[in-house]
Amino acid sequence: MTDDGSPQALSNISHIACSAARLSLSVGTAACGFNSALQRVPVPDTRASPLITPPPLALSWRPHNIPMKCIGLTLPEGIELLASPEAEKTASEGMRLCETDSRKVSAEKAKGHCRRKRTHVKPPPGAVSLQDRLFYLLQPPLETWLAGQELVLPFEPFPYQYEGIAWLFARHCALLADEMGLGKTMQAITGIRLLMRAAQIRKILLICPKPLIPNWKREFRLWAEELPVVTVEGNPAHRRMLWTMPGIPILIANYELMTRDLPDIPDEDRPTFDLLVLDEAQRIKNRNSLTAQVARSIDRRRNWALTGTPMENRPEELVSLFEFLDVVPPRALPNARQLSKLADEHILRRTKNLVMADMPPRIDRDAELQLSDAQECAYRTAEDEGIVQLNELGGAITVQHVFELVLRLKQITNFDPLTGESTKLERLTVDMEEIAASGGKAILFSQWTKSLDWLAERLQSFNPLIYHGGVPAKMREPVLDRFREDPDTHLLLMSYGTGAVGLNLQYAGYVFLFDRWWNPAVEDQAINRAHRIGQKNPVIVTRFICANTIEERIDRILREKRALFESILGEQDNDPVSLSLNADEIFGLFDLKARGDDGARSIGPAHAA
Amino acid sequence: MSANRISEQFSLGFMSALEVDGRGYVGGLLVTSRSGRPLEFQCTTPVKPDRTQEILYGRTLRAWVLGELIGSTLFSRVSIKPDLIVVYDKQMLELRNHIQTPVAFLDDVGADTGTSHSMGGRQLYFHPEHPDDSDFVENRAHLLPGEADLQEPMDRVREALAETVRTVLV
Repeated sequence: MTDDGSPQALSNISHIACSAARLSLSVGTAACGFNSALQRVPVPDTRASPLITPPPLALSWRPHNIPMKCIGLTLPEGIELLASPEAEKTASEGMRLCETDSRKVSAEKAKGHCRRKRTHVKPPPGAVSLQDRLFYLLQPPLETWLAGQELVLPFEPFPYQYEGIAWLFARHCALLADEMGLGKTMQAITGIRLLMRAAQIRKILLICPKPLIPNWKREFRLWAEELPVVTVEGNPAHRRMLWTMPGIPILIANYELMTRDLPDIPDEDRPTFDLLVLDEAQRIKNRNSLTAQVARSIDRRRNWALTGTPMENRPEELVSLFEFLDVVPPRALPNARQLSKLADEHILRRTKNLVMADMPPRIDRDAELQLSDAQECAYRTAEDEGIVQLNELGGAITVQHVFELVLRLKQITNFDPLTGESTKLERLTVDMEEIAASGGKAILFSQWTKSLDWLAERLQSFNPLIYHGGVPAKMREPVLDRFREDPDTHLLLMSYGTGAVGLNLQYAGYVFLFDRWWNPAVEDQAINRAHRIGQKNPVIVTRFICANTIEERIDRILREKRALFESILGEQDNDPVSLSLNADEIFGLFDLKARGDDGARSIGPAHAA
Repeated sequence: MSANRISEQFSLGFMSALEVDGRGYVGGLLVTSRSGRPLEFQCTTPVKPDRTQEILYGRTLRAWVLGELIGSTLFSRVSIKPDLIVVYDKQMLELRNHIQTPVAFLDDVGADTGTSHSMGGRQLYFHPEHPDDSDFVENRAHLLPGEADLQEPMDRVREALAETVRTVLV
């Protein structure tokens, strides 16, 4: 044993096999001459002797690191940062920053923000690799991302809109089918903005109906003013240049130009896009149409479709959209169960009832009117003569013959062409006087541009404005601007085809359906121009229906069909499902039977201009 | 380098760890821009100390595993070195003894040690042996947006860790 007892000394000792030995020496004296020798101190001797069993090995331990592996992901913005020549900054460079404005952040304020709901981006079901899923999981909550200094929004989105943006952000194939008025445009623009900011997309093509192009441009200015938007327009050579010009971040074109221009561009020059957005995507509901074929032929990495009515008539329309989204093989015919599964995965649909509990209600009222004497006379004459003529046609009768009669009768219910008498006009005038007196604004929809022009002449006291296909495209935006801003303008006369989709007219509290469209879905689209986000007051919708006329019969059939559709598919969300009249039903309006195999064919005019 | 450029490149690290049943600890480090945009993420496979280490490290075991072992490894692996690392476990402050970058422990309740500073609406505590870290943070608080919440990235790190554990271990 050592004196100091230090660990080092102990360590040295551990190498020596040492044990205490009991020494027992007997000492005695004898009477001899050696007694003097006994005075000497005995000197013990030691010698090595092998142990019977070897000693156990002493345990030794030194600190060591546990081996581990790392899994890493550098995100696109990080890659850009690393590629930047100035990225080689060091901590010491950072230390030199000595700004004094250090107390701007109020803890209380920040804590207040922390209590806000957070919408996280979730990985899409198709993201297989861990890196892909981490990319989405690591994105900040949209609320904080969009509240940052770099991405200012003009208005705070609703929670369901945040969810829609996050959903779009994470999907390559998405059908956003929110009910009209819930802000599909804003969600798509913000989704595009975030994807561009995250360096996921660089070149976007947006296809929409021609009348909606100004609306999209305005919304881009509002929600993403930093994004440059270029519209495809001009002569063919100019358009060709725009289609093929690299470096345009966002290109907007209408369906007609897409269909006309793109097939003419040679394969080697055809543009490719990171994202293709189809607005009012029901335009490609017929998978065999040229529009649908051209849309599918565009080279793109992501597909988004926007529509409030993903299925207007038949499941095949939904399949066409899925084919565009590349989630079903070409010409696929999924059954109802497969369609439902695809819908769950690729469609996001919210309705006002679901998400806008606080939104002012929409009050529907049917104005049942009696024809004036002159109208009644004209109507009965036309109907009787028409039926006689139809019967005379015998086997040659077609649905078009019946359809023409329906149109003629509907026009008479609007006004008598000879006398100009119109009970609808009388009722409208009364209502408009009240609306104008209260400073309100109303939108009126009709199927015929001639009816709109006719009404405009007779409602001058309300300073009506006209918005239909006959109004040059350049004049349409000023019309809407004036309707919004001029307090003396109380009435906007619109055709279903031009005014039913994409416009934001939530400053109008009244909607008149002067005559009925063939499809309730289109009517709902029209109504939702006013009954949409931003509307602060209840929207009163008035449908004019003349009693004992073709209008009443059509209305009854449409109601029955909608009820049947809801009972089969369980639609509980006020979905504007469509149910255009088919040939059997058109013939049935006059107790006629459909000839040939037209029975199941849906008929109806193309959208009014 | 311009001041603007430096501001843009001011990056933050957020480090957290999860204990996986029977498999030890996994740690993750998320590097973000000053506005919270993710730049890089690294995480470890599970690290489990053996019985000897548990005995010998005693009360310092978590600090050694989380701060020195996992923290140092993660920091060495990221390509984009953050200017400040925020940790959510007090034991991770040990990392500060092994790197030159300031490390702050975020705790609204209040830590019983070290200096503190308010940043991003949260209270940050620093290693008692590195009091200058507080001054460093104070001088850079203005670089964070007013809406910044330093607590939120922890959710992202833990989500990502959980996803990685599910993927790698399963």
